[in-house]
Amino acid sequence: MKSAEKFRIAHLSPAYFSPDSYVGGGERYVDYLAQSLQMVAGFEQAIFSIGPDDQLFLRNGIPVRVLKNESSHPGMTNALSTRLWRELEGFDLVHIHQCLTLFGAFSTSIVRSLKIPAIGTDLGGGEDPQMLRGRGIELLDGLISISKYAHNLVGSHFKGPHDILIGPVDTDRFVPASREPSANAGQILCVSRILPHKGIDRVIAALPASLSLTIVGRPYHQAYYELLVKMAEGKKVRFVLEADDDALLDIYNKSAVFVQASTARDIYGNNIAKPELMGLTTLEAMSCGLPVIVSDAGSLPELVTDDRFGQVFSSHDDLVAIFEKVAAGAWPPPEAGELARSHVISHHGLNAIGVRLADFYRRTIASKKN
Amino acid sequence: MALRILFLTNLYPPFVIGGYEIACAQTAEAMRSRGHEVQVLTTWSHVPQETKTPEWVRRRLDLHWYVPHMPNQTLEARDLHSAVCSSYSNTLHLLDALTNFRPDVVSAWNLTGIGGLAMMDLLNHVGVPWTLYLGDRVPVDIAANVPADVRGIFNARGGEVYEQARIFSVSQNLLDEIEAESSISFPQGADIVAGWADLSQSLPHQPYLQNGKARFVAASSIGPHKGTELIVEASAQLQSSGVDFSVDIFGEGDVPRYVDMAKRLRLEERVRFLGSLPYTDLLRAYSAYDAFLCPTWERDPFPFAPLGAAGCYTPPILTRNCGTSERLVDGVHCIKIERTTEDLARAMAEVAAGRVDLAKMGRAGRRLIEGDLSFERHLDKMERAFEESARPWEMLDDPKLPLLLFLKHNLSVRLRFG
Repeated sequence: MKSAEKFRIAHLSPAYFSPDSYVGGGERYVDYLAQSLQMVAGFEQAIFSIGPDDQLFLRNGIPVRVLKNESSHPGMTNALSTRLWRELEGFDLVHIHQCLTLFGAFSTSIVRSLKIPAIGTDLGGGEDPQMLRGRGIELLDGLISISKYAHNLVGSHFKGPHDILIGPVDTDRFVPASREPSANAGQILCVSRILPHKGIDRVIAALPASLSLTIVGRPYHQAYYELLVKMAEGKKVRFVLEADDDALLDIYNKSAVFVQASTARDIYGNNIAKPELMGLTTLEAMSCGLPVIVSDAGSLPELVTDDRFGQVFSSHDDLVAIFEKVAAGAWPPPEAGELARSHVISHHGLNAIGVRLADFYRRTIASKKN
Repeated sequence: MALRILFLTNLYPPFVIGGYEIACAQTAEAMRSRGHEVQVLTTWSHVPQETKTPEWVRRRLDLHWYVPHMPNQTLEARDLHSAVCSSYSNTLHLLDALTNFRPDVVSAWNLTGIGGLAMMDLLNHVGVPWTLYLGDRVPVDIAANVPADVRGIFNARGGEVYEQARIFSVSQNLLDEIEAESSISFPQGADIVAGWADLSQSLPHQPYLQNGKARFVAASSIGPHKGTELIVEASAQLQSSGVDFSVDIFGEGDVPRYVDMAKRLRLEERVRFLGSLPYTDLLRAYSAYDAFLCPTWERDPFPFAPLGAAGCYTPPILTRNCGTSERLVDGVHCIKIERTTEDLARAMAEVAAGRVDLAKMGRAGRRLIEGDLSFERHLDKMERAFEESARPWEMLDDPKLPLLLFLKHNLSVRLRFG
């Protein structure tokens, strides 16, 4: 194992967090994960992604190399670049994000051919049959899952080394404003892409007249967005379709309770596979000192380990009842915000995740060399 | 130094397309005679005929293209993919051969038809020293028939997959063509190992133009690219000029078409189609002919047959700019022609009229083949190259390698066909 010199880590992702590429939790996760490793000495990192044109830029001091898409198949998760053969030379470990996609399968084949240790993470982008039933996932040297739920989905296909890292969240950035919590009383916040499986309709449907709801996110499904607008008529609902990071932070700090209502069966009757592998915005909200209400979909219940700062709902009636408690001041208790933030810092913060990630990377590299 | 050499080829006698496969077989057998331990990995063939195959020739691979008794146009795109890009079962057989035989060097020949791209990728992956003998434009076939993103799976978007190989080419013409059509230039360099003829079984030549009759012979695949049509048309011109001659054509292919053509031109008594002959029988047969006809297409990399004929004192009449022309001098070892019926007929008429010193030209051809283009000299060159290429390597102990090959194969199919 290297001691004095740094390990070179490459993160591969089919998209990067930017309006020029894709603004989703999966893309933000890669940024956050790289940042968390920056907190630990002994690593040098680069992020490789795919786009319409070559690009190179720095994000938080980490080079992001965008390679021109060469895929003959449309779709973000089908993007690929054969230049990885050259670009990855010299790296000690490659972390393949969205590993259960065509991008992931293609990248796995190249990284394995280059004999570089490879770690995969499913960020919900697909269920690639070649990686699962075709057992391509076994070519990975390790697997990092973003929740227990996410790990359970792939656990039967991968028996190798794995870890579950929920987060990270930049707890230095997502901080509570110094204000009286009562100033935001009755302000409910929902932050997510506007898509049917995010279950925003359920929040609007359960919202009592005494509470206000702010929905922050870009519409990715026009019909669903129009449906939400219609449902919101006569209620105190505000849509914020464009919000940069500063604006989002400001909105977090002007809210009282955060809701994430993702669902396994959307309002159109569609069953959703992997509805929520990790609720990143829920963790961000908790880092800002917001108590949270989450649905029982996917991994969300894993995020709220204490009902003082988190409530879980299964049905419309459950959510109505929780909202009634909020409106009546019966929940959350005064200490909820502090508890939420403290929990996130110790379990899901950049430093906490960075230390565990570094350990997993080191063990994987050492194991491969042996 | 005795080496363990694994030969990899799409076809192995008795079933061949032409000189490329014969050359491979001759080299393999000769290397064995020189004391090397040789194994050949090739196809089981698609002709239901019993063959005497020695135990060191393993007919394990499936053949997805160039099936001798099936026209190519009946095969579908999927077969083409299996032929030039990836055939999982064939790649696994190669892995087995590498694991069990542990060659010092792998000598790859014509890989078209057996999923050659995936096989070359495997050779690179395990790090075995390997050579590629280019007797035809295999890299162009791959580049032209495999989309770029699919080639990328095997690190072959450009010429990367060839970078670890020692390259031999039968002619500079072929290398130029490969570079022009696929931009692959082999920066590591390529050795020109021209064709040859093994004359050990040849016979002394009989008198030329016996009884005033010119006897021509041709031996190749029967088809337009080899110029069969030109031979029949030129024969018609000679007949109409009252020349006394005959043409015997050996080989297989679209024979009925040319039998009909000869009948239509009233050449049944002049032009005969005699099927294929084993190499050594063919060489013996040349002794009875006055000239060898080879009006092949200009991009024929290196037809071997004219060399065999030249070595048997039977001067070739051949296309001016085919690969073999690089090695023969017009008017000394052969008669070079433009690839037209008229020019072929003119050259045949010159021979029939006795205006060419066939005996002198035959002797010059024999000297050339016994010297620069001798089989022994070729073997020395190849053997030296194998010895230089061989270096210690260890087969990876990677139980997941078949899984990687499986993923790559399936990805290639998926990217190609959706």
